[in-house]
Amino acid sequence: MTMDKLLLALSTLCFLGGFIYVVMALRKRQPRQTTWLNFAVVAAGFVFQCLFLHSRGQLHGRCPVTSGAEILIFLSWSIVLFYFLVGRAFRLSLLGMFTEPIVFVFQAIALAMLIVGDAGPQPVDSVDPWHEFHISVALLSFGAFALAGVAGIMYLVQDRQLKKHHLGALFYQLPPIRYLLQAIIRLLGVGLALLTVAIISALFQESEPDPKHYSLAIAVWLGYAALLGWHFSGKATPKRVAIGAVIVFVFPIALLAAL
Amino acid sequence: MSILCLGVNYKTAPVEIRERLAFSDHEMETRLGEIRQLASVEESVVLSTCNRVEVYAATENHGQAFTELADYLVAHFRIERPEDIEFYRLEDEGAARHLFSVASGLDSMVLGETEIFGQVKKAYHLAHTARATARRLNKLFQQSFRIGKLVRTGTQIQQGSTSVGSVAVDLAEKIFGQLKGRKVMVIGAGEMSRQTAQSLLSRGASSIIVSNRSFDKAEELARELNGSAVRFDDWEGVLSKVDIIISSTAAPHAIIEPAMIENAMPHRGGRSLLLIDIAVPRDIDPGVNEIDNVYLYDIDSLEKVAAEARVEREKQIAVCERLIARHLEDKGIEALAPDRQPPESAREKTHDLTEGGASEPVPRS
Repeated sequence: MTMDKLLLALSTLCFLGGFIYVVMALRKRQPRQTTWLNFAVVAAGFVFQCLFLHSRGQLHGRCPVTSGAEILIFLSWSIVLFYFLVGRAFRLSLLGMFTEPIVFVFQAIALAMLIVGDAGPQPVDSVDPWHEFHISVALLSFGAFALAGVAGIMYLVQDRQLKKHHLGALFYQLPPIRYLLQAIIRLLGVGLALLTVAIISALFQESEPDPKHYSLAIAVWLGYAALLGWHFSGKATPKRVAIGAVIVFVFPIALLAAL
Repeated sequence: MSILCLGVNYKTAPVEIRERLAFSDHEMETRLGEIRQLASVEESVVLSTCNRVEVYAATENHGQAFTELADYLVAHFRIERPEDIEFYRLEDEGAARHLFSVASGLDSMVLGETEIFGQVKKAYHLAHTARATARRLNKLFQQSFRIGKLVRTGTQIQQGSTSVGSVAVDLAEKIFGQLKGRKVMVIGAGEMSRQTAQSLLSRGASSIIVSNRSFDKAEELARELNGSAVRFDDWEGVLSKVDIIISSTAAPHAIIEPAMIENAMPHRGGRSLLLIDIAVPRDIDPGVNEIDNVYLYDIDSLEKVAAEARVEREKQIAVCERLIARHLEDKGIEALAPDRQPPESAREKTHDLTEGGASEPVPRS
C-alpha cells in the first residue's frame, strides 16, 4: 500500500473508530467522557485527510480532484472542516457522531476505488487557476450542505422525541432544537454563498464549462436558494426546513455522480 | 484510631423520629462540644437534614463510642422509647463508603439530587469551625467531596428531571436553549402553575402573563411573579407573543383547541411553542401536539418523562458504585491509612494542627 492510501486508510479508521466509540459511550450512558476524545479522534482523521490531499496534490501538481475517489475525499474533508467551524461554535458536540458515519462511508468507497484502480499521476501542461478554484469552492459548498443535512437529521430526531414524549439517552445529549435550526440555516447560507462564487468563477475558466455540469450546479443553487427563501418567507416550519436540508442534498450527490 | 457512623435516615426511621433527632445549625457548635466530651469520641461531624441524622466520629473504641453516642442522642432529645429507634452503626470502610454514597446523592430519597452535597459540606464546615474535627475526619470528608464531584461529573446520575415541575423546565430548555427573553403565559392561577412558572423564571424566563377566570386572582399571582394579568376572555390575543403556556384551570372541557394554535403560529416568526397542561380534566386538546413546531405535554406525559428519568438514574447506581470502587482501589480510604511518622522538624507543627483540629482547609463550595 502506498503512503497516500495508508494515510487515507488511517483517516477512515479514525472516523469509524470515533463513531463506534461514541455509540458505545452512549449505550453505556457515559457521553460526557466522549466529548474531548471524540473531538481528538475527528481531529486526527482530519489531519490524515490533509496529509492525503497534500500527497495527492504533489502527485498531480494541482488540486487533487482528478477522480471520483478524490472528489469524495475532498468532500469529506470539507464536511469535517465545517464541523470544526460550526459544530464547535454551536456546541453541537454530537454533530461529530452524526458526521463520522457519512465521512467513513465516503472515504471507504474512495479507498476501495483507489485500491481497485488508481489512475496515478494526472499532470496537465498548464494549470487553469479558475478551474481549480471553481471545483474546490464548489466542493466546499457541498461540505456545508452535507453538514446542514446532518444537522437536519439531528433536528428530526430531536423533534420526534419531543413529540412522542419518549426522551431516550440520546435526547439529553442533543442540543436544543432552536440551535440546530440556527446551524442548518447558517450552513445553508454559507454553502449557497460558496456555490454562488463557484458558479461565477466557472465563467472565467479558459475552457467553456461543461453544460451538463454547469446546469446541474445551477439546479443545486436553485434548490438551496428556494429552501432558504421558503424559510425566510416565514411559510416553512422548522421541521420542513430540516426535511428540506436532508432531501435537497440529493442534488449535489447527483451532480457528483454525474462527474 | 478508626471511624464510625451512627444514624437514622428516611429508610430506617419515619419522619416522626427524624424530626425529634434533628439538630439545628445555631446549636450545632454546642452539641458538637457536648459530643466531644464523650470519653470515647475524639472527632465528630453531625449531618442533620430532613432525610437523615448521622454522627460521624473518630474513636479508639467502636463499641463504647456507639453506645455513648446513642445514649447521648436519646438523652439530649429526651426520647422516651429508645427501643423505637433503630440506629445504623457502620464502622471504618463501611462508614466511609456510606459517607461517599451520601455525598454522591446515591443514598438520597431523590436519587442523584445535588442538595445533599452542599449539606455534607456545611456539616463538615460547622464541625471544622467548632474544632470538632482533626486528621481522620478531615481526610474522610475531603475525600467524600472529591468522590461526590467525580460521581456527578463522570456519570449521568443527575441526568433528566425526576419531578413534574423540573421536567417542564428541562423541556423548555431543550426546545429554546437559554430561557432568557422567553415569555410565559399561565392560564389558571393554581399552585402547580405558580411553582412551574417560578421555576421557569428562576432559569431566566423574562416575563409572565397570568390569565384566570377571576381577574383579581390573576392580578394577585401576576404581582407575585412580577408579571402582568390579562382577562380570561383576552388570553387568545397574546398567543402569538408567548413561548410557553402553562394551563391548569378547572374547566370541564378543553379551552385550547388546535384551530386557535394553528391561527396563531403564522404570526410567531417561526418560534416554537411549548404547552404544559397540568389540568385534570385536560385544558388543551391533544390534537394541538400534531401541529408542527408545537409541543404539548399533559400531566401524564410529564410524569412519564419523570419516571423514565428515575429509571435511568436507578441504572446509574451500578456505574456510580463502580466509579467509587475504582477510586478507592487507586487511593484507598485515606482516613483509614496508618499514620505516617512525620520528620522530626515537622512533628511539632503537626501536633499543633491536630490539637487545633485544623489540619486541612475547608474546601471552597
